[in-house]
Amino acid sequence: MLVASKLSLDVQTRQTDGGVAVIVPSGRLDVAGAPALKDAISQLAKNGPPKVVIDMEGISFVDSTGLGSVIAALKEIRSSQGELRLAAPNQQVRVVLELTTLDRVFPYYATVEEALTGF
Amino acid sequence: MGSDHEPFEFRATFAELDEGLDVLHRSVERLRLATGRSADDRPLMLFETALGEIGSNVLTHGRPPGTERPVEYDLRFESGIVVASLTDSGPPVHEHLAREMPHVDSEAGRGLAMARALVDELGYERVGEVNTWRLVKRL
Repeated sequence: MLVASKLSLDVQTRQTDGGVAVIVPSGRLDVAGAPALKDAISQLAKNGPPKVVIDMEGISFVDSTGLGSVIAALKEIRSSQGELRLAAPNQQVRVVLELTTLDRVFPYYATVEEALTGF
Repeated sequence: MGSDHEPFEFRATFAELDEGLDVLHRSVERLRLATGRSADDRPLMLFETALGEIGSNVLTHGRPPGTERPVEYDLRFESGIVVASLTDSGPPVHEHLAREMPHVDSEAGRGLAMARALVDELGYERVGEVNTWRLVKRL
């Protein structure tokens, strides 16, 4: 299968020793990039109750569709009895979370290490 | 070194989603450099967020299958005020304009409410078969 030479969002996933999946998207989490994050979450949810941290440090920009993909991820993970935490959002992501009052739904952590503590 | 006092103008046409979004973000980066603003300049970041919302609406809903007319984009900055306009030939969107921010569980429907909250003026006009969006913000 051919892959587009330039994707707006690249998504890597790693597992910690404690069994937490850390998703590391890089680029713009927008209407073009959101499907890549949704796919990564769906893969994790297939393999049992997931504990997931999304490391947002590499996300340069988020729009409402990208935000929608994070809400979809939260629903999918909770329906699998899992849990989702967000870490290291930049200023633009924080502003969008606050503007939409989604910061009440997604309490975010300053770093991945903080998000992993006690998870 | 850029300056807030120098007028700035950027124009482009585009048709594809990825290409269009890239152009919009690049144009804001050029404006940032032209005006000597920092990477974390808050007013410009708020404007870029609103522009991304309207831009993605225009590039998805404003370009139904078979549309030939490209999106026309114009970005101007003068006397401390940035104005962006985007035109598309999609269906009229009057019924969506007053949409409020949806419930936190909703996965969609926030774009226009966000854009309205982030700029000083969000204008929409339908002339013939063409939609024109106008975003205005003092930086």
